[in-house]
Amino acid sequence: MKKKPVLKIRNLTKLYGDIVGIKNLDLDVYPGEIMGFLGPNGAGKTTTIRACLGLLQKTEGDVKIFGLDSHEDSIEIRKRTGYLPGDFGLYDDLKVKTILKYLLSQSGVSDESKMRELSERLELDLDRKYGNLSKGNRQKVGIVQAFMADQDFIILDEPTGGLDPLMQQKFYQFLKEEKEKGKTIFMSSHILAEVEEVCDRVAIIRKGKLQVVEDIGSLKEKMGKKLVVEFDDGVDPSMFDLDGVQDVQIDGRIATMIVTSNLDEVIKRISKNDIVNMSLETFSLDQLFLTYYREGGSG
Amino acid sequence: MKIVKTMMMELKNSWRGYGLFILVVILLIGGFTQAFPAFSEAFEDELDGSENIEVDVVEDGGGVIVRLSWVEIDDAENYTLLVGASPQMIVPIDRVDGIQEMHYEYYTPYDEDGSMPETYFAVVAVSGEERENEFVGMETNIDRRSPLEELWGMDYGDIQGFISVLWDMWWFLLIGLYVGYISVNSVSKDFEEDRMDILLSKPISRKQYLLEKFSLVAGYTLFLMIIAGLVLIGSVYSVGELGNVTSSALVLSAVLSWPVFLVIIAFSILAAVYLEDSKKAMGLSFIFILVEFGIHLVGDISDSLKHVRPYTIISYWDHEAALYGEAISLVDVGFLIVIAVVIFVVTLKLFERKDIPT
Repeated sequence: MKKKPVLKIRNLTKLYGDIVGIKNLDLDVYPGEIMGFLGPNGAGKTTTIRACLGLLQKTEGDVKIFGLDSHEDSIEIRKRTGYLPGDFGLYDDLKVKTILKYLLSQSGVSDESKMRELSERLELDLDRKYGNLSKGNRQKVGIVQAFMADQDFIILDEPTGGLDPLMQQKFYQFLKEEKEKGKTIFMSSHILAEVEEVCDRVAIIRKGKLQVVEDIGSLKEKMGKKLVVEFDDGVDPSMFDLDGVQDVQIDGRIATMIVTSNLDEVIKRISKNDIVNMSLETFSLDQLFLTYYREGGSG
Repeated sequence: MKIVKTMMMELKNSWRGYGLFILVVILLIGGFTQAFPAFSEAFEDELDGSENIEVDVVEDGGGVIVRLSWVEIDDAENYTLLVGASPQMIVPIDRVDGIQEMHYEYYTPYDEDGSMPETYFAVVAVSGEERENEFVGMETNIDRRSPLEELWGMDYGDIQGFISVLWDMWWFLLIGLYVGYISVNSVSKDFEEDRMDILLSKPISRKQYLLEKFSLVAGYTLFLMIIAGLVLIGSVYSVGELGNVTSSALVLSAVLSWPVFLVIIAFSILAAVYLEDSKKAMGLSFIFILVEFGIHLVGDISDSLKHVRPYTIISYWDHEAALYGEAISLVDVGFLIVIAVVIFVVTLKLFERKDIPT
């Protein structure tokens, strides 16, 4: 039996006057998973996240977190939900420790152990003034405040912006450990490699509309493979006239195509010809992503 | 407890400004009161030689008889009485020569409106063959009031009146503008410095958020009032006037201004929530404060404009009653608190429906 979603979005719409922020969005995030939320600038990622947390008033639709209504039960939801905004500021003249302790107290939590542990892990100096921190260190403060109350559900909006590659790796490791502990994480990102590395599933949004929600493996499978064959002689295009073979392009002796199924039959057919070279590539998430954005979603 | 922690957090973030302003208030109030002796002397604006003349006014049908008597001047052969409508007496309206005694009764008819005309009398002694003149003195038939007294309708020659000048002229503007400034900033800075998302993602309601902001500024302002009252006690004591006014009256006169500032705090937070931008919100808040002060000034300057007084919140702060030990109007205090609450509720409704900007 499928678990009840931690985050359940139905028909969520946010309009800014005539401008569509998001339109009729449906999405489920299940317990213990890391869901990646992909889309270019202005696609509606941040709008979706902020509407879920009640920072924006939704125009239509329902958002439930832990089965609770995001508007009516927002305080109860926020007791159990950590949040890292995409852009944030804090108190420049105060020490990081003072700020984090205050934010922890606002969550109704007195145990500082996770705050200290995560700060140490991310090499964040708690005794420095927030205003004196670099962008990367400020981002660490944001990450620590999102996780320090040890809540069950964490929403992250572009969490690794400003972090150096080594720190990003540490953060990914931390996310995986949190997942192991049963935490549910919903994170938006531009960095496809990080989504590929840490996320179980991915949702792609474009112009306020959800394009696809899929686990990453299935998505790649569904998108097929790119097959490039260089023949010794000319190419007979009819040999690729098969179900599961798309976008066949012939350039002299080179044939390029997308194979989503019937790969075995394709190989058998081309092997009847003299082959000079051949490559079979799995689509990277980058390519998938670009495909969705160029075409407006085909999957 | 969250509200206390938020207040402590705001204080930690802004303690320099808050502390500096407390220092300014202490210096201003302490320094202002030290000017009382000189100010008080200036109010004793006696007419020249008035100590040499006595005036007794007796009503007589359609006017008054002004009975004048004056000290004898050696070698004076007679006296001349000059009568004028002002102390300058550049053009006397009447003149009586050859008065042999040191007294004279002068009849003055009432004005058309039935009031006694303000009349000034100067006595000059005349002596010797060359008719030398010696000024004896000057007096008037009315109780003289200084120009400021005329303006404000109060006796500012005593310590209570003097402190009323402080409250009327300085306190509202000084505290009002600063309170408006910190109230606006307490909310606008959270918008402008992108703190609002994180703060409101914690399990506190928007109502609590606004209450925390309001309570912080209101608490700080009350603290300022109490400090002002205490400094006033010390300062009034140092000029030897504490026997003429009670310590509790001094503190109460300051603390009674608190509800006025609650309205300003509520309005400024409303401006900040509505406009989000601190400069615009501060502009609106300052306009509100200056308009209130302007109405207060206009209403006090002329009796013909006193009907505008109810339209300024300052009118509901009766510091004079507090200073003179008279009954305080709880209705006035309650009225101000109700206005502050109504503005706060409107702000809350607006804030609860608001998209938090990024």
